[in-house]
Amino acid sequence: MRRPVTRHKLFLAASALVVTLTGCSSPASREGMIPPDLAIGTHFPHSLGIQTGGGASTGAMDTSNISDEDLKAAIEEAVIQNKLFKSIVQGKGGDYELSVRLTTLSKPIFGGTVSVEMEMAWSLTKAADRSVVMRKSVKSSASKTMGDAFAFVTRLRLAVEAATRDNIGQGLKAIAELKL
Amino acid sequence: MKKLLKLVAILGVVASITSGCAVNRATGSVDPSADLSALKTMYVKRIPEETGGTNVLIADKLRSKGIVVTTGTEPPPSNVDAVVTYIDRWMWDITMYMLELTITIRDPKTDFPLATGNSFHTSLTRLSPQEMVNEVVDNIYKGSK
Repeated sequence: MRRPVTRHKLFLAASALVVTLTGCSSPASREGMIPPDLAIGTHFPHSLGIQTGGGASTGAMDTSNISDEDLKAAIEEAVIQNKLFKSIVQGKGGDYELSVRLTTLSKPIFGGTVSVEMEMAWSLTKAADRSVVMRKSVKSSASKTMGDAFAFVTRLRLAVEAATRDNIGQGLKAIAELKL
Repeated sequence: MKKLLKLVAILGVVASITSGCAVNRATGSVDPSADLSALKTMYVKRIPEETGGTNVLIADKLRSKGIVVTTGTEPPPSNVDAVVTYIDRWMWDITMYMLELTITIRDPKTDFPLATGNSFHTSLTRLSPQEMVNEVVDNIYKGSK
């Protein structure tokens, strides 16, 4: 005679499946935040240093955040791909210094369609005289549905990445319109 | 088997639309071109629908730093050095608690965010609104020159 499945085993099996379906939240990836070809025709003959702030790491039980390091890497890659500046320098020493700070990131904690809203503060400073060349607040948003991903945590990460791509695209296009 | 499948189905739905649990996070950042010490007067713009008094807490905290602060829902006065905006999110877990608070100090002419702070604490590690405001404003000023 077969032994009935105990409630304990049922709970363990169900929990294992939930963990599989849910996974852990993953941070917005730097590759996912790089905007595709921006068709920027401007190429400044200057070097650029980039610093980022306002981001946060993503804990195991957290929702997808944007780390300062990954945001910096995504912006640097976008600048390089579009040849907006002659070169990227790390730390100080660039002709211009770009600061990009994540100001607000509104994310839901549950839902079918995930909508994310973001604001970043972009400021560009000329290193030689510390003059502020540009100060701009850039807002962006993105939505992902269950058609994009079944698991909420994946939809959220995709939405955060999409909003960031849009934000970086807007910021770099604004810089491209400057006369440096 | 039917019970297991039903339980899995319910948990699967829950898993597909919900996310994490206990989280604590606090950040503060200031634009490199901003000098917070030069900002002597500020206006805290109250969210019209917000009735929890968060704007008063923020105004009082900024006053403790020697800043002259007014608050309200009207457009800010023309002579303030900065306008302060905030976003507060509340959740219910037995009682209502403040889940997240973001405070932004902005240039009154351009709305540019000069400095921002954020505090996020889920239910198990909830803080009072006063504590959240203190944490955010202190983090903002820690990041200033």
